[in-house]
Amino acid sequence: MSQSPALAAERHPTAPARRGNANKRRQNRAAYLFILPFFLVFLTMLVIPLMYAGYLSLFESKLIGGEQFAWFANYIRAIQDSAFIGSLLRMGLFFIVQVPIMLGLALLFALALDSGRARGAKGVRLLVFMPYAVPAVVATLMWGYLYGPDFGPLAQVARAVGWGTPDFLSAGNILGSMMNIVTWEFVGYNMIIMYAALRAIPSDLYEAAEIDGAGQFRIAWSIKIPAIRPAIILTVIFSIIGTFQLFAEPSLLNAIAPDAITRSFTPNYYAYNLAFQNRELNYAASIAFLLGIVIAVLSYAFQLATERRERRALTETETPS
Amino acid sequence: MKKARKTALALVTGAATVGLVLTGCAPSGGGDGGTTSDAITDEQREEALNTPTDLTFWTWVPDIENEVALFEEQYPAINVTVENVGQGLEHYQKLRSALEAGEGAPDVAQVEYQYIPSFVLTESLLDLTPYGADGIADDYVGWAWNQVSPNEEVWAVPQDVGPMGNLYREDILSEAGIAEAPETWDDYAAAAKAVKDETGSYISNLGATQAGQMIGFMWQAGVQPFTYDGAETVGIDVNNDTAKEVANYWTELIQQDLISVDTDFSDQWYQGLANGKYAGWLTAAWGPIFLQGTAESTSGLWRAAPLPQWSAGEQVSGNWGGSSDAVLATSENPIAAYELAKFINHDEESAMKLATEQFLYPPQLSVLENPDFIDQESEFYGGQQVNKLFADISETVDTDFQWVPFMEYVYSTYEETIGSVVAEKGDIAAALDEWQDQLVSYAEGQGFTVE
Amino acid sequence: MTSLETRAAVTVGAPKRARRAKAFDPEKRRSSLLTVLLWLGVAYFILPLWWLLVSSTKDNQALFTTFGLWFGGDFSFFENLQTLFTVRGGIFTRWLLNTVLYAGAAAVGATLLSAMAGYAFAKYDFPGRKALFSATLGAIMIPLTALALPTYLLFSQAGLTNTPWAIIIPSLVSPFGVYLMRVYSADAIPDELIEAARVDGAGEFRIFWQVGLRLLGPALVTVFLFALVGTWNNYFLPLIMLNSSDLYPITVGLAQLQAAANAGGGSQALFSTVITGSFISIVPLIIAFLFLQRYWQSGLATGSVKG
Repeated sequence: MSQSPALAAERHPTAPARRGNANKRRQNRAAYLFILPFFLVFLTMLVIPLMYAGYLSLFESKLIGGEQFAWFANYIRAIQDSAFIGSLLRMGLFFIVQVPIMLGLALLFALALDSGRARGAKGVRLLVFMPYAVPAVVATLMWGYLYGPDFGPLAQVARAVGWGTPDFLSAGNILGSMMNIVTWEFVGYNMIIMYAALRAIPSDLYEAAEIDGAGQFRIAWSIKIPAIRPAIILTVIFSIIGTFQLFAEPSLLNAIAPDAITRSFTPNYYAYNLAFQNRELNYAASIAFLLGIVIAVLSYAFQLATERRERRALTETETPS
Repeated sequence: MKKARKTALALVTGAATVGLVLTGCAPSGGGDGGTTSDAITDEQREEALNTPTDLTFWTWVPDIENEVALFEEQYPAINVTVENVGQGLEHYQKLRSALEAGEGAPDVAQVEYQYIPSFVLTESLLDLTPYGADGIADDYVGWAWNQVSPNEEVWAVPQDVGPMGNLYREDILSEAGIAEAPETWDDYAAAAKAVKDETGSYISNLGATQAGQMIGFMWQAGVQPFTYDGAETVGIDVNNDTAKEVANYWTELIQQDLISVDTDFSDQWYQGLANGKYAGWLTAAWGPIFLQGTAESTSGLWRAAPLPQWSAGEQVSGNWGGSSDAVLATSENPIAAYELAKFINHDEESAMKLATEQFLYPPQLSVLENPDFIDQESEFYGGQQVNKLFADISETVDTDFQWVPFMEYVYSTYEETIGSVVAEKGDIAAALDEWQDQLVSYAEGQGFTVE
Repeated sequence: MTSLETRAAVTVGAPKRARRAKAFDPEKRRSSLLTVLLWLGVAYFILPLWWLLVSSTKDNQALFTTFGLWFGGDFSFFENLQTLFTVRGGIFTRWLLNTVLYAGAAAVGATLLSAMAGYAFAKYDFPGRKALFSATLGAIMIPLTALALPTYLLFSQAGLTNTPWAIIIPSLVSPFGVYLMRVYSADAIPDELIEAARVDGAGEFRIFWQVGLRLLGPALVTVFLFALVGTWNNYFLPLIMLNSSDLYPITVGLAQLQAAANAGGGSQALFSTVITGSFISIVPLIIAFLFLQRYWQSGLATGSVKG
């Protein structure tokens, strides 16, 4: 972890003046007290549930016969479970297709706003961000109506211009429809993160380039984007985490497209159904645990992969803030 | 840390158990499922009903507060809280969670017939025999009573049922030259073609993922897909020859595009009923009123008839839906709880209200014989006595139909194996094999003996 | 795009231009094309919300018979509101209040915990500081939703399910909040100020309350708002934790109403009610973001630069 870009950018606090051990001890005590509440919740709400899931996942429970210790039987089952693997692969596809679109749009918006060349930029910023404040439940519900083949306005418009009726909710299209919902929800959020990072780039960096006659595209590509790389990496990691734990979207879309959304459409939805429909709590716990590992590994692997380039980029554009 | 937690937990549970035993608040040993307890005396009942008591009742029947009010009027000492935690699956999930957590479960809960065995399996339901439930058996249609009491025990009081019939648009069918409702399934297939050719409508819609409807058709055809002995043995037989005949029948109609396969109970399905996309709906006895609320603009155009038959001259039907009210074994006031479940579904005024205000189709003979109910003429169905028709149909439902104690899994795998095939107009019979395999392997994995 | 593209094409590798003066003031060089494109993009983000607004004025009938993106039928907004707030004994009000309570409590708590921890990480050099902060950063990657299930199992062992605590406590953890607070504290609170306060004899906690918190304003608002949204919009956790509809937040309640509308049986076609409820449920958050935008945008800026 200590090599993460986040840490690389961190600053050391100014060492307190050496003023005798008593003072130092008093301050240490205060510091521990400051972090205590957070770590208490941290421990009980993150660490213990994680351990508990791991513990539960080592047992097998049956409707007849009850619970027994089963070593890694659940994990062996999970890696052979085509439903679980399928859901992971589906989310992998989702990630590969949706995340670049979403982050690309967010970056375009952020750069356009930052360039200061559009009218009503403030309004644009707020309106694009607004979907973030809409609960996933409501977002899915709205898009569900918009997708409707008979009364959905999208189908109505498509028919009116002679494109026939698009079937957004069929088994083949539902993943794309879900990508659209998630994109709609989160472009604004990611845009704000990137935009905020762009605003923090000292303007003399690119004003010089402008004076030298560099075009906006060139400035964006060679100065701005490298400068906000940490922010972009942050959004990618958030997207990894978000993608693999999708739940509200599939669970609500299931009501209007039950044949297209399978019980194992996303890993998290699968774990939920295992726990509450199959009544296989222990197996569900091992799925949740595995899912956590997959996400952590992917995020970490992504960080490692970008790290070297990242550090170079940082040193090139390192600036006081 | 974990050990300490467990110990503390054990202490708490232990203390709670001791508390229960000491206060002796469950005269029949209500906590053990009650299978061995003695009958409740009138004295005990009197006492329980006159002691101030709070009951919780989980149900998703809208406005059931009205019937509950009748109960509270009669037994002022008892205060009932009605809770709607969700409908169907969500309701059962919450119920199971509360049971597992050991607190927060209601005293009385609505349970659909097919889910009763799953709660019997976990010993979550109170056997109502000692409370006098066997005494009211003859007040209900036989097959409905069998659903709540497949063996000796009585697990719930029937609330409503869904014997299946055929609702159709008289105007669309006669436009296609069909004067009478199709009598056999062959007639129905022919009619489907005529309707599609002449009017462009589908004769009806088969909800792609609607397991209840398909199982109802199987029920009518005499398929016995599930059995359960109340302990550890289940029978699973969803792909036998008769079931496949039913499946092939629908596969053919769907592949000829004579039957639509839209998801039912969706907004566009509602509109399909109202705008003539579907010329009919093969549904249950709760369907007529439901349709009336949905397709107001087509009032007077609809008629009701029995389901088409597999052989001419026969009269059999299946059931789709309906539910009961069960008392949970964890209830601390089992006597009062049973009286509530019974009152709602047995008291004549209450049962009549359920049938005429909430439009739940009654299993109670008192209502089915009440002229105020069966002689009602419905304008929506051109003055037809729809209730009477379904009362007659109800007599023709096979009485021995059973379920397995994991219907959530059965239904969810139905969506995946059959539902997706129906939606893609594939071979339903082949999907039945797949469904069978999944069900058997799940049952075996869960430790059941599969027959 | 063309104007930008041509400019880029022309200027790449071209000798210095004479238009220096203008280059210093990009505000003056508005691009109409860019503006049009941006606002077209905005249309995509606004469209569903516009649909929601329009649809909340329709009754069930009009919902399915009129064009979705324009008003039509009778103006039924107030009837819908009335149904919404009276259906099932007015339970919607209850859900709204629950949501406000859960989200408010969780956001205040998460902000405070994050501020204290972040401040300590930034301003004290105590043993174990690095390890603990690394653990916090690592936790940003732990999928909270995937943890909801084990948390539920744990809570049900402890008898805490079906209480507001089951929603509030897990929402208090905000590793990202701690991180943001740490970065912000390092920048915004000068060490000299703390030292001066110490010389004046102020205790560490008084310094935090009176000096630290005051300077952390934008970061506090940011963490608060994002924790607020996180809890307000949470669906999975309350769905599995709560068994009593009186405790539901708006998300679970709306999903339940929607399910009832879809499931029939009880013959309650509540489509327009659900839509109006959805509309009402997003208004408070949008207002909060509008009014506090100055703070959260600058708060986020700090975090993302360093992130």
